[in-house]
Amino acid sequence: MPFDITVLTPHLDTLLAGALLTAEVCALGIAAAFALAMALGLLAVGGGWAGRLARLYVDVFRNVPFVVQVFFLFYGLPEVGVYIDAFWTGVLALGLVGGAYGSDVVRSGILAIEPGVVEAAKVSGLSRSAIIRRIILPIALRTALRPLGSVFVNLVLSSSILSMITLDEVTGTARGVASETYRPFEVYAFLLAAYAGLTYALSLGIDALHRRLNRHMTANGAPKRAANRAAGGWA
Amino acid sequence: MRHAGFTWHDGALLAQGLGVSLGLFVGTFLIGLVLGSAAAVVRHFRVPALGALLHTALELLRNSPVLVQLFLVFFGVPALIHQPLTPVFAAGLTLSANTAAFVYFIAVAGLDAVGREQVEAARAFGLSRAQLVRHILGPQAAAFAVAPLVGLAVNQLQVTSLVSVIGVIDLTKAGDILNLRTLRPFAVWAIVGALYFAAAKTLTLLGNRWERRLRAHAPPLGL
Amino acid sequence: MIAVEGVVKRFGAHTVLDGVSLTVAPGEVVTILGSSGSGKSTLIRCVNGLETLDGGRISVDGLDVADPRQLAQARRLSATVFQLFNLYPHMTVLRNLTLAPELVLKRPKAEVEGQARALLASVGLAGKANSYPGQLSGGQRQRVGICRALAMNPRYLLLDEVTSALDPEMTAEVLAILGRLATQGTTMLFVTHEVEFARRISTRIVFLDQGRLIVDLPTDQFFAVDGGLAHPRIHQFLSKMAPSSTAPAAPVAEMPA
Repeated sequence: MPFDITVLTPHLDTLLAGALLTAEVCALGIAAAFALAMALGLLAVGGGWAGRLARLYVDVFRNVPFVVQVFFLFYGLPEVGVYIDAFWTGVLALGLVGGAYGSDVVRSGILAIEPGVVEAAKVSGLSRSAIIRRIILPIALRTALRPLGSVFVNLVLSSSILSMITLDEVTGTARGVASETYRPFEVYAFLLAAYAGLTYALSLGIDALHRRLNRHMTANGAPKRAANRAAGGWA
Repeated sequence: MRHAGFTWHDGALLAQGLGVSLGLFVGTFLIGLVLGSAAAVVRHFRVPALGALLHTALELLRNSPVLVQLFLVFFGVPALIHQPLTPVFAAGLTLSANTAAFVYFIAVAGLDAVGREQVEAARAFGLSRAQLVRHILGPQAAAFAVAPLVGLAVNQLQVTSLVSVIGVIDLTKAGDILNLRTLRPFAVWAIVGALYFAAAKTLTLLGNRWERRLRAHAPPLGL
Repeated sequence: MIAVEGVVKRFGAHTVLDGVSLTVAPGEVVTILGSSGSGKSTLIRCVNGLETLDGGRISVDGLDVADPRQLAQARRLSATVFQLFNLYPHMTVLRNLTLAPELVLKRPKAEVEGQARALLASVGLAGKANSYPGQLSGGQRQRVGICRALAMNPRYLLLDEVTSALDPEMTAEVLAILGRLATQGTTMLFVTHEVEFARRISTRIVFLDQGRLIVDLPTDQFFAVDGGLAHPRIHQFLSKMAPSSTAPAAPVAEMPA
């Protein structure tokens, strides 16, 4: 049987419904991941128990396969009495892993801030929370936007794994279409191209946003050549 | 925690699964390393049609879900060519290609990082392209690429967990089987997760050690 | 008054400040001179609480900087201008000036903005209120840094090598402004390499060498042959940094405002 993409036409509605579900679960998952990444990123920069715990959390979620995390949440939690449906388990799983990878990015962004800028904020008497909200996070996120965006795009790709827990997102829907049409090659090739197109578009959007937010930025207001000339040492 | 229902047999099953996962990982990573590096060299020397084609294909591979790639190869290709593929073969093929895609982009960055001056000097001295790659570009690009490659390795190790979906009896599938028997998903998936974690951390440790050794011998870039 | 009493500061095994004491009374302009590594910047960083003390005590109008709550209050009384400007890169020039007065001093927005614009006008940057630090030259950025400090209406102005990162032309711009502030009676504590400038505007000069305070003298006495210049270390320093200062004082030339 030769390659024939038109076999998909009657099923586009179904696939679109699946795509919509993908969009929903990803949007919520990304939002959760973003919030968690900021919180963990801030904690992970610091010392003490909170810092160590944050870094341990990140370590665990970065070194266990996503599908195992999803199975643990979906099948394991009910065993200890926590019942969440497939959709919200998906959101939770994406949020937890996205928060872990994202926090590393945010942490790098925070560490890249010129320390003098934070010092200026401190000596002007700004409170800790004001410094975090108005100085540290806005600057760190501007640097971290592109790699953070890349983490979120990966979440979209990982969402395909949620088809394994009976969620009818686009990959799960596609499996159904494939078995109905007996044309798995066309279905999955189309799906592949669709995901790639979507992530490409998202990356372009993130790049544009990154450029726009960073159009005025330098490190601390100091000219680059002067930064090289500044005296080192203790004085 | 009472391990009622867990036996030594289960340990053996998990160990076997882990072995399959590791074997699949090592095999596909090495193949992907070779293929991806070769593709990067092709692009570096600006081979016209081939370079662009490879780039597009690899861009596609790294921007789509591995799960869908697996389905395409295991379900889709046999429908097209009227020949079945074994789960292991399909898994090996998919993961090698997927790994090659990521290696390609890392290698391209590594090759680009080697200063143009060195390439010009080498060419001026009459080195052939092959010699250029072997003695100048290769070693320095490799030193640059080691850290991201270690990160990629850890990632690809975890990606192997998806082959369980097409029936390969890897660690995840072993967990699945164990689950069906013991009906203790919380414990089973926690243990499976812990095993993957240990494997990943070991890999990172080995990778870092190797990176330190490589950096000790390789000269700094652009000197 | 800023009171520094027997301050000791170590970084690891290295003692950067070894029992330094000095005072800055309202209206004074005190300059700290010394070579690199003498501990000058560290001292200022101890006054505004960026470094903690390993010994001794610093108080600003009676508030002990070692106590977090008192330090928070002390920080409202002083303002710092930094060598590398340390402007907030993601905010406009105007916002850089108005942020702390609004949030820390809780002053109304309109009043703060009005003062900020006036300050910018006084340094010749009226048109740059909506620009970003990244769009300004080094001299302009430091002028913004000074305005940002002044917007807090500080009792004490701390200046940490504020012209060291500028080229000669920009240095002159900034020094002109600082000279004006000094004549207007602003209390200032300076760390600088600009010996000639220090001589012009300071009321007192303090010399640090390897963490120790060698002399603390009114300006004329510091540059007098039988005063500061009598110390070999100071004489050596001044011969290198400002050879003309080891000669009798030359007439002062006016700097453009």
